[in-house]
Amino acid sequence: MMSRIGPMNFLKMKTCATHISLLLIVVSMLSACVKNQDFGQYDNLQITPTYEGSILYLEAPESEINAHDGSNFISQIFNFDAFAEPVFADRVLDGVMTYEIANTTSKPAQLTFEFLDAADAVLDTEVFAIDPAPTAILYRETAYGNAGRSITIITSTSSIRITAENLGDSTSVSSLPNAMITFKSAAKFRIRVK
Amino acid sequence: MSCRPIIFIISVLTCTLVHCQNKELLYDFTEIPQALMVNPGARNDFEWYAGIPTLSGISLQAGISGISVNDLFANDGLDINDKVRDRAIYGLSTRDEQSTTFQLEFFNGGFRGKKNELYSFGMYVEGDVINYWPQDYAILAFEGNADQIGRRFDLGDLKVRGELVNVFHFGINKRLNNSLRVGIRAKLYSGILDVRSANNRGYFVTTEGNRNLLANTIAADLIMRTSGMNTLGEANDDGTLTNFFMKRAFFGGDLGAGFDVGLTYHLNNQTVLTASLLDIGFIYHSNDVSTYSLKGSATIEGVDVILPDALSDPNRDFWQELVDEVETLVPFRTSHKNYISFRPTRLYGSLRYNFGEELPSLEDCDCGPDSGKGGAGRRAKYANAIGGQLYMVNRPRGPQMALTAFYHRNFGNVMAIKTTYTVDKFSATNFGLGLSLQLGPINAYIMSDNLFAYGNLAASRYASFQLGLNIISWSRK
Repeated sequence: MMSRIGPMNFLKMKTCATHISLLLIVVSMLSACVKNQDFGQYDNLQITPTYEGSILYLEAPESEINAHDGSNFISQIFNFDAFAEPVFADRVLDGVMTYEIANTTSKPAQLTFEFLDAADAVLDTEVFAIDPAPTAILYRETAYGNAGRSITIITSTSSIRITAENLGDSTSVSSLPNAMITFKSAAKFRIRVK
Repeated sequence: MSCRPIIFIISVLTCTLVHCQNKELLYDFTEIPQALMVNPGARNDFEWYAGIPTLSGISLQAGISGISVNDLFANDGLDINDKVRDRAIYGLSTRDEQSTTFQLEFFNGGFRGKKNELYSFGMYVEGDVINYWPQDYAILAFEGNADQIGRRFDLGDLKVRGELVNVFHFGINKRLNNSLRVGIRAKLYSGILDVRSANNRGYFVTTEGNRNLLANTIAADLIMRTSGMNTLGEANDDGTLTNFFMKRAFFGGDLGAGFDVGLTYHLNNQTVLTASLLDIGFIYHSNDVSTYSLKGSATIEGVDVILPDALSDPNRDFWQELVDEVETLVPFRTSHKNYISFRPTRLYGSLRYNFGEELPSLEDCDCGPDSGKGGAGRRAKYANAIGGQLYMVNRPRGPQMALTAFYHRNFGNVMAIKTTYTVDKFSATNFGLGLSLQLGPINAYIMSDNLFAYGNLAASRYASFQLGLNIISWSRK
């Protein structure tokens, strides 16, 4: 076993190459360093994406508005749990609610959009007064968080109540085709991931 | 200069997802028995060898392409949020990967048969993880979908694979004639853990709504398969992790089979061609298997209230209807159907030119430079060799390749070194060095890649080392 290892071979071990090899591998690994790193920066990392999507769309044809004897052609509470989901409610920072109302009917109307908590208590209210056609599209943005209204309005919201009141008559008919009141809404909120 | 966070860096590199290790230093390093593991047809002259259990072969490799720890955490006064956004979120592409591989031999041995063939056998555990940068997921998580009207976030960016396998192997290496030596190794795989999600398709896009202000559309065909993960969680809770690993490592988990082949061919006395193909095989996952899928498409524009139909039922829950509709259109399902995974097959090849002094053979034979021309029909062994090597591995986004130039030097039969320069997707400045020492019957080797990176590990995108201890005999039993 290993009978042919001669003294010359052992001498060769002591050559410069031996030292270079050992130094390069062992010493370089043992002396491996990490230069000028500041891992504390991780604490300053902020991951705050902004997500947006539609919330609620309401469409009320003029015939339906005229069909109601009372002035309110809708007063309804809609369950809306999206804002109450912990993944959102625990992490939302700020954002904007966007509303767009169009009226092609012959009568003025008032539309009230209310944020309700789990006990149906009103948290916030948006009131939109709409003139009869022809009129421009009503567009509104409401900010929450930061300099806007309290973000807890959003995080406490469990449902939405919409009330629409006909401020005109119940007999006239718009000359425009498919006359209706449409209500569009969307939310854009910034979330704290880290 | 601070030297303290080395462990942190190694942990980061290791815990990110790795690729099957390119062992360019070990390849064709014929003084080391483990060279047979990367080429079953490698030249050898051992009578027998035995690896020191658990110490015969230890290797670890970690690679990150496109970015380094230094790029993010250098103390350069820049805002970490800007660095992450510019260098990671938008700086990386879906071709960039984070990967790591380790291999630990429990035992490894070999002996020569009556017809001069060499039989080898052993058992090792291998872990392999690779993750391709999920760019669109990262953008969606970092920036969100706001003000990205029309942008399609590609859900196919999710490509990840990880596995932990115990491998039993038995191989034979035989010199067919004076020019050609071939080898083959059979492998039995005992799968311990497996996670893979590679063939994903789909997108998420936000557009102007048809009725409402915005429309969010998801079209998904996502699938993730796992094996052993549920049992792992239970074992972790019960404090029985050791039993879990032992059971699944010894055929109590998933089973598979495969083989390696390799050859060494002497074009002439000094020029040698080698090649090997490793891990041509599969694992049949049938134990604690779960498949998670998300498939379908849906477009939502919030809650739709269309009068007068919407008011026909005063108790109607529009929000829950919307949630139910999405879950119906894009269902998330879990199944437990068995599946097959193919091993990440690797290809090695090399062209080597030997020159310089002819060395005496350690074999107990009439061979070597003093034995006459081609003593006993064996090729002479030279002190020096230069050459080039090719490495390819099959990956979820297609084959990856590395090219290596090397210089191999023997100092008698006592010491051998191999230096390499390798170009791959991780680095163009990868210089490696391997050392094999033969002290009596004890063989020790240590190898490391990307040596220049050790000056600042945080700036490195690639780190790799191998080491081991063997007992080798050249004498007849």
